[in-house]
Amino acid sequence: MKKSLLLSAALVMAGTAVSAETLRIPHELGYGGSESIDPISPQRFYEAIQNVYSRLVRQGEDGRPSPDLALSWEATPDAKEWTFKLREGVTFHNGNAFTAEDVAFSLMRTQSETIDSPTKGVMEIIDHVEVVDPMTAKVVLKQTHADFPLLVMDYRIKMLDAETCGNELDALCESGVGTGPFQLVDYDPLGTTTLKRFDNYYNGPAGTENMELIAIADQDARVAALQAGQIDFIYALSAEQTPLFANNPNFTVQSVPTGRWVGLVMNTQTAPFDDPRVRKAIRMTADRDALGKLVYGKDGFITSCDHPVWSGDQYRADIDCPRDIEGAKALLAEAGYADGLTVELFVSDISEGAVKMAEVLQNQAKDAGITIELIQAPSDGYWGDVWMKEAFFATGWSQRPADQILNEAYRSTAAWNETGWNSSEFDAQLDAARGELDFDARKAVYGEMQKTLWETGGSFIPVHLNTVRAFSSKLSGIQPVEDFSIRYEDVVKSGSGS
Amino acid sequence: MMNLLQTVISRPSGALGLGLTLFHVLMALFAPWIAPYDPTMQNADAILLAPSFEHWMGTDTLGRDVFSRVLHGGRLAIAVTFSAAVIATLWGGFAGIFFGTVGGRVDEFSMRIVDAFLSMPWLLFLLLIISIGGAGPVTIIPTLGFFYGVAILRVVRGAAMQVAARDFVTAAKARGERLWPVIAREVFPNLSDILLVEGAMRWSWMLLAFSSLSFLGFGATPPTPDWGLMVAQERGLLSTAPWGVFWPCFALSSLIIGINLLADAIGKALGLDRATAIAV
Repeated sequence: MKKSLLLSAALVMAGTAVSAETLRIPHELGYGGSESIDPISPQRFYEAIQNVYSRLVRQGEDGRPSPDLALSWEATPDAKEWTFKLREGVTFHNGNAFTAEDVAFSLMRTQSETIDSPTKGVMEIIDHVEVVDPMTAKVVLKQTHADFPLLVMDYRIKMLDAETCGNELDALCESGVGTGPFQLVDYDPLGTTTLKRFDNYYNGPAGTENMELIAIADQDARVAALQAGQIDFIYALSAEQTPLFANNPNFTVQSVPTGRWVGLVMNTQTAPFDDPRVRKAIRMTADRDALGKLVYGKDGFITSCDHPVWSGDQYRADIDCPRDIEGAKALLAEAGYADGLTVELFVSDISEGAVKMAEVLQNQAKDAGITIELIQAPSDGYWGDVWMKEAFFATGWSQRPADQILNEAYRSTAAWNETGWNSSEFDAQLDAARGELDFDARKAVYGEMQKTLWETGGSFIPVHLNTVRAFSSKLSGIQPVEDFSIRYEDVVKSGSGS
Repeated sequence: MMNLLQTVISRPSGALGLGLTLFHVLMALFAPWIAPYDPTMQNADAILLAPSFEHWMGTDTLGRDVFSRVLHGGRLAIAVTFSAAVIATLWGGFAGIFFGTVGGRVDEFSMRIVDAFLSMPWLLFLLLIISIGGAGPVTIIPTLGFFYGVAILRVVRGAAMQVAARDFVTAAKARGERLWPVIAREVFPNLSDILLVEGAMRWSWMLLAFSSLSFLGFGATPPTPDWGLMVAQERGLLSTAPWGVFWPCFALSSLIIGINLLADAIGKALGLDRATAIAV
């Protein structure tokens, strides 16, 4: 009794609220059960890795890099060498100490040809990592990168225990041992994956004792589960689902502007989309404002012109893209489709509004003589069976900084180059932007790339989303930040009340 | 035929069944002229409007008029399932009469295959075939026709065995008549009523099956107005905009009930008791 009183008093004094409750989060089963606990796996189990592992730096409330396992960082004047000073006294879940050796291992394995991680295209900029001392790591780049900390802020660039992973750079590490606020207890991506609080987490114990990641593939089923109290939290509510929770005292609704988008992808290597005139014609048929209102509600979006850099990013280009049916018809005629064009579009309930977006574009494109036949695919397994397999398909991306998204989705060698974009000139611009130390000049290069994507790219990105999430009013501590920046360790769940 | 119609109408349930079925068929046929709006017309300024004089059944998530979509919603379902019902009745009926009349080892062997098909979870099998052949009437009509024909085969075969054992069939065989004339002249005329009732019943079940496929994303595809697809697209809004789900459900249910009442009335008019004479 004395011990528990002392423990309670200590926690109160430390200003940390903890509870013995279980936080229950849904996971979308996007890889049909073949999810991997390795953060750089192409089938990464995002909800688990977010809580099991930590990054060197993470996104601060202002959107810029803030300390996580690295306390500070600095670059040489040419921005080719970046030195990270690490946090002292951090341990992995198995008790091993976190050191610069783990940083070197975790960063270099992202370049593995065998693993073929989606992060590979971005992280190939690293030449090598030097262990200066146990608490200092120096990252030497192949080329200048003025914004390198933004790259290691990626939600998948987590720090792994080199020893537990056998120092094997070319194999997935499924140990699930990290330094994050929760440690893995039971791994079951098809059912319920269970995590428990890691008491030695460097920032103090998490607010809840346990976390359950419950596989629910269908968004409507997730909504029903939250209403029934089977889960505590749900991401990405649609405009129609939001009222279900907005006026209910048992739930809290948060709306956050983000760089997230749901879009449609035309593979630039596959006919008829290998003709840039066809791609642009389809994009020109869209009334983006009407589309956004129909799919996400009048307050749920900010229009975009098919470039992935969101309005909150410092490198966002200012492009105008009004609907132009006559222009689209002229481009189609030039491309040899004067009598109209029929294409198949594969969609699924993978992200909020994906099917509706396809239906709206289908309706808008028919004015230019474009017939879009929708083919609905099952949502479970969509990312493995349809995405990047078909010529025209739906996609969804979370918020990323300009450099990262442009490298990850449009560099010709990138694993997630979903449009099959293959331009040496564009690759050179990507390198040039990274090497440009002058901000205005760098911004100009990023702007040119975004204009190129609008003119000839294969992405249809009509809007960026305000993400809307709902959670039980028993939860507190969820900050209004984008999904990847939510700190679940700060979430407290009260055991009673509404 | 007129006598049959008069007998069916003379029963309240028969009149109701015939009325509902005819109503839906006529609505489906004339929907383009009756519907006040284009069923695919989207309107960003009219999303999820409650029922009103302007939109009798409200609007859906894309601002489309639900009344117009409900009117059009039966066109594809009725066309596909009626075609499939005809196929099922023809092949299932023919095979059932044949095996019931022939009997013996051929019949025994064939029935084991039929039993195997009947024991399968038909929806999964349907989904498998559609995922290979693609969604669309070209795949769905023969697939539904085949699977529902198996059930018809079983029922008709049982009835055919009873007919084949009767004296006039024995007499025909004793006269030296061959198999096909016996089937055409003696057995089939005594089973046509069962075929009619079975075909109607299976049609109503196929409507439910097709709507289930559309609900699951394997039947009608957007933006086709279809009852099952409408329910799938609006099901998340039951508590805030129930009209998007209620009306297509109401239309589908009323048509299925109508066909069942009609089939029941036809059976009774022909002297069949569906509860005892037709056992699956």
